[in-house]
Amino acid sequence: MFTSRAEALALTLPAAVFAAAVFLLPVMILLGEGFQTADGWSFGSYVDFFESPLNRLVFLRTLKLGMLVTVSAAIIGYATAFCIISLKGQARGQMIGLIILPLMISPVARTYAWIIILGRSGFINATLTGLGLSDEPVRFLFTETAVFIGLLQLFLPLMVVSLVSALENMPGDAISAARVLGANWFQVFWKVVLPLTREGLVIGGTLVFTGSLTAYITPAILGGSKVLMLETLLYQRVSVANDFASASVIAMILIVMTFTINLLLKRIATAKSRR
Amino acid sequence: MIKKLLYAGAALLAAAQVADAADKKLVISVYGFGQDKFKELLYAPFEQKCGCEIVVETGNSVERLAKLEARKDDPEIDMAVMSHFDALAASRKGITSPIDVSKIPNHAKLYDFAKDPIGGNFAIGYSFYATSIVYRSDKVKVGSWNDLFSKELAGRAAFPNISTTQGPISLYMVGKAIGNDAADLKAPIAKVGENRDSLVTFYERSSQLIQLLQQDEIWAAPVGRFAWSRIAKLGMPIEWATPKEGQTGGMNVMIMTKGAKNADLAYEFMNYWLSTEIQTKLAEALVDSPANSEVKVADNIAMNLTYGADTVKDLHLLAPEVILDNRESWLAEWNSKVAQ
Repeated sequence: MFTSRAEALALTLPAAVFAAAVFLLPVMILLGEGFQTADGWSFGSYVDFFESPLNRLVFLRTLKLGMLVTVSAAIIGYATAFCIISLKGQARGQMIGLIILPLMISPVARTYAWIIILGRSGFINATLTGLGLSDEPVRFLFTETAVFIGLLQLFLPLMVVSLVSALENMPGDAISAARVLGANWFQVFWKVVLPLTREGLVIGGTLVFTGSLTAYITPAILGGSKVLMLETLLYQRVSVANDFASASVIAMILIVMTFTINLLLKRIATAKSRR
Repeated sequence: MIKKLLYAGAALLAAAQVADAADKKLVISVYGFGQDKFKELLYAPFEQKCGCEIVVETGNSVERLAKLEARKDDPEIDMAVMSHFDALAASRKGITSPIDVSKIPNHAKLYDFAKDPIGGNFAIGYSFYATSIVYRSDKVKVGSWNDLFSKELAGRAAFPNISTTQGPISLYMVGKAIGNDAADLKAPIAKVGENRDSLVTFYERSSQLIQLLQQDEIWAAPVGRFAWSRIAKLGMPIEWATPKEGQTGGMNVMIMTKGAKNADLAYEFMNYWLSTEIQTKLAEALVDSPANSEVKVADNIAMNLTYGADTVKDLHLLAPEVILDNRESWLAEWNSKVAQ
């Protein structure tokens, strides 16, 4: 399209300069603070951070919840995507519309809805006590369970949409062919569907995992200070303790975790395709 | 072409600066709470009176302090309001300058404790509040700070987080209740740690607390009196406890930025804010309890405020330097005993 490579490069220059000046540079400065200590450049802030038992606990909790949410979203996502794929024409479009609808509502509103649903006199506790499954209302709010439910509901649509498009691209007779050749349903899923839809799974998985890792409002409202996550801890370090060194350590951890999971999922995808 | 554009841009900038200098402008930094009322009762009438413009910056204290510190050499803020211990932190950092009270005639009308709360005239108290426990009188009785940990309130009480202004002062009162009110707060933090699982949450904003009360999630929690009018509006059987150990509280103060560009206007504004007329109006709107001793309000208003010299005399306040010097170690202690 362009007569020379130089011309093409020149055209990308303004955008590149803009991104470098207002995004890359500030991020580097922010992250750089994590390596600055009283005695010059060092990993001191990182060592201090991981020496605190609370910080280790928060780090592991964030990782655990992120993975739990991603795996649960994948399981529910596949089931939902199969149902949607089996629908024809308008019904399929309507169903996808319904799945996407929550994404158009602010996460704050969605999270507040959970406060009411999960509350002592909320829908879930009313059902539990009504059915005689529990004498006392169960405490859901301000627990890891509440954060898990909130995050799963927040990011499940992203997984479903990725998997629906992956399943749509899968050859329609692949499943029937496998069945005819004697594969059971588990084998069909594991050896046929999963390899053929792995790209959708990688995209969905990355979106859900990074989303859960960086969501602030949901853990803040449903977990509170009793269930600190890395992102709520980051806020606390900055706005309460004015401790920008720890905050930039946390920011770095979040960025590294995001890149790692993305690389890992991509690796899984390509490793399988080589077989 | 580019040169011409640059010239034009520079000319525009210069013109804007000249215009700015011509208009009288006062930049203030305040709490986000109740801003619509402040605008109506304080800012708008003052703007009319002085023929100037008030630019308002809001945010939590730490954000605002950080901003003041960042602009230390070229301050954009002229005056700010904050808690007395944040004001002490600011004065230690050299961000603030002593206030020349001779330029504030209404200073003489203040209660004595509000006249120079952190020493060296670095701050003037403009409002204060009591902190006690609110509780559902149809469910429980609360007569002591220790009752927050009673069997009846297990799973039904909330506590302010250590990071809030209410956190440390509530812990101080718990310390009194369990017979150890040392400033290190170790005993009360351990007590809260023991009861961690039976406390519903450690709340960070009074609005969150009000929501929990409204949804019947909690029956009791320590809270500042400034939230009382909103709690009373819920129309629920909620009462303000008078624990046998007494109540605690805090004070909010005004400070003057060092090198403030509009210092004279800031003095004029402070004097206006502290006047009997404005303090009465703010009290009647239930925004702030008055620090001006000449303010008289009706009983139904006084009931919703922390009103009168006698009330304040009985409050068990933590000194600003105690809060400031111990904040870090309290947070560390809390993180090891309560947060995990």
